[in-house]
Amino acid sequence: MANSKIWTIINHEYLKRVKSKGFIIGTLIGPLSFILFFAIIIAVSMSMGESSKKLAILDNTNILADNLIKANKDIYFKVNKSEAELSKEVLADNLDGFVVLNKEALDNAKVTVYTKGGGGLGFINQLENDLDKVLREYRMAETKVDKTLLARINLNVKLETKKINESGKTEKDNAEGMSFVGYILGFAIYILTFLYGSFVSRGVIEEKVNRIMEILASSVTPFEMMIGKVVGIGFVGLTQVAVWMVMLFGVMAVATPLVMTFDKSFNKAEIQKIENLQQMNKMPMQSGNQAMSPQAKSFIENIPKISIWVGVAFVFYFFMGYFFYASLFAAIGSAVDTEQDAAQLQLPITLPIILTITTMPQIMGQPDSTFSIFMSLFPFSSPITMITRVAATSVPLWQIAASVIILLTSTVGAIWFAAKIYRVGILMTGKKPTFKDLLKWAKSN
Amino acid sequence: MNIVEIKNVTKFFGDYKASNDISLAIPKGIIHGLLGPNGAGKTTLIRMITNIYMPDQGEILVFGEKINRDHQNQIGYLPEERGLYKKMNVIDQLVYFGQLKGMSKKDAQAKAVFWLTRLEAKDFVNKKVQDLSKGMSQKVQFIAAVLHNPELMILDEPFSGFDPINSELFIEIILDLKKSGKTIILSTHQMHQVEQMCDEISLINKGRVILAGNVREIKKSFVKNNLNIEFEGNFQDVNIGNNLVIISKSEGKAKLKITNPALKPNEIIALLTDKLQLTKFEIVEPSINEIFIESVKNSQN
Repeated sequence: MANSKIWTIINHEYLKRVKSKGFIIGTLIGPLSFILFFAIIIAVSMSMGESSKKLAILDNTNILADNLIKANKDIYFKVNKSEAELSKEVLADNLDGFVVLNKEALDNAKVTVYTKGGGGLGFINQLENDLDKVLREYRMAETKVDKTLLARINLNVKLETKKINESGKTEKDNAEGMSFVGYILGFAIYILTFLYGSFVSRGVIEEKVNRIMEILASSVTPFEMMIGKVVGIGFVGLTQVAVWMVMLFGVMAVATPLVMTFDKSFNKAEIQKIENLQQMNKMPMQSGNQAMSPQAKSFIENIPKISIWVGVAFVFYFFMGYFFYASLFAAIGSAVDTEQDAAQLQLPITLPIILTITTMPQIMGQPDSTFSIFMSLFPFSSPITMITRVAATSVPLWQIAASVIILLTSTVGAIWFAAKIYRVGILMTGKKPTFKDLLKWAKSN
Repeated sequence: MNIVEIKNVTKFFGDYKASNDISLAIPKGIIHGLLGPNGAGKTTLIRMITNIYMPDQGEILVFGEKINRDHQNQIGYLPEERGLYKKMNVIDQLVYFGQLKGMSKKDAQAKAVFWLTRLEAKDFVNKKVQDLSKGMSQKVQFIAAVLHNPELMILDEPFSGFDPINSELFIEIILDLKKSGKTIILSTHQMHQVEQMCDEISLINKGRVILAGNVREIKKSFVKNNLNIEFEGNFQDVNIGNNLVIISKSEGKAKLKITNPALKPNEIIALLTDKLQLTKFEIVEPSINEIFIESVKNSQN
């Protein structure tokens, strides 16, 4: 009897939302805005070092300017004007600044740049790096260092990481790619928890404002009401995630063969050669993959192989994290009459989530540090951080077990705590409660 | 059998006693008027009968058993503060509320259509609540309270927002429900409807029952001290002294209260005819409205 009422509520909350236009649009637009968001982050971080500024080079040495322009011709250009003239142009905003290269630059690497002030750290760094390189090359050339030696000295390290698996073989370890995948998954849980948590509190406020609570309370218990709403909306979230996963696999399923076909058509001649060779040597025909060009092969290798366990962990931590936070959101929704009032009371809950997301770069960078381990056990942050670690590194089993147990226990505790507030809150109107009032309600019988 | 039995119930909100040692018994098949000024504690009492609140002291029996959540399916409640999901259509909404009262989807659907037809609102089946007029959404709200055919119905101000025609329709329906053996608790400030419909009343003030019983008997127990007169002449000329108090007065008509119980009707007539030409003289029993006002005033002291 009681269970059937909870199912009635779950059904109602689920269908009401899944059938709505907002859900359908959100499901379609969600991934696009997510991709756009990360594309912007990547684009911004890649353009960090670049400066769109224009700098005039006043070269009194007649040696360095050409090399500097070679280093970055978008920024630097040579002029033949006096410092006074250039100063005027800077003040008139025709020029961002100018660099004066004197003999001092050659002797003890001292260079002066004139600007209107400011310009940011990125721009200074860029100029410094470029000058460093040009001046170093000059000094090397001056001391007659061999060109090939110079090239060898300037060689950057290209580190290839190999992961040892249990069968003793090594495979390509995509540490960078995987920690990025972890970041995206953690970020997705963060967004989804927030989004669906606020759906829950908004739903509760709607029922309060529209005075539906009293009818509901005369039909079902507050606990059934709350659980029904939280689970119903949670299923909406799962549905959305499932649709997105299908979309993702669909895109991957289409993209991989697409890369291969394009690759093949570009390298038809090459493949022909290889096939002829194989025929001549009477080698057994090998799979089509072997016939791929090295570029295509590395492209496919570079798609991080996401294990099924990462998927399982994602669904688990999403659902638990959602339950943990959504029940608290429900409690706060029950206590207030407007969403503005809710926003204030939500601070103690939203703060830990926001703090967690700001520490994500550290967790991504050092997934095995003590701090990362702590964050992946602490229930307020574990739903977001553990998924990042699971994707980025091999987390010891005991840590996963501990995190699951702590999160499960805390979620049960959060639901219990929220239900006590909810029971009092839903029929309270008028006075705006404080966080202290909520604690008092939770203590009352 | 008493459908509702309230035994020494007290309910606190903080230090405030919203219900103070309330005892009340409501037998089957009657309409019981639950009266009282605003803030008297009626809603708190109703919420305890609907198992929304638990009493802090005392106990509440419904259908002869200590109240528990399973009884909620046999109780229908029309709260004073009306509420519906604005964006849902009428039929889905009613089916949902019916299911929450333990009905099957099919049954709820059939009953919803039956009631919409009976309330002359069948055209609104697929309309959204936000597109309904106030009277129409009141009808939907009423159906939500009776859809599951409850034995006990609690109707809080059921006539507010209705025009006289719809009010008549609802009075008829409520009386029909009573005829079919249902028990109804009616909370309202419309005293003429209490006179018209209620078999019993209880009057609550400041969390206490200050008056309870059969409407006829309560009226009889109050002294007949109401006087209606019609006259020619100027009422101002009459020296009423401490014997009479004017309740209302208009051209050629007055409602008076006899404040001197020792005064005989003949003496009153003599007092009035001294200055006026009487065309009507009638001593009547007090209305529920007057009993309400008088009792509340007395309990205040």
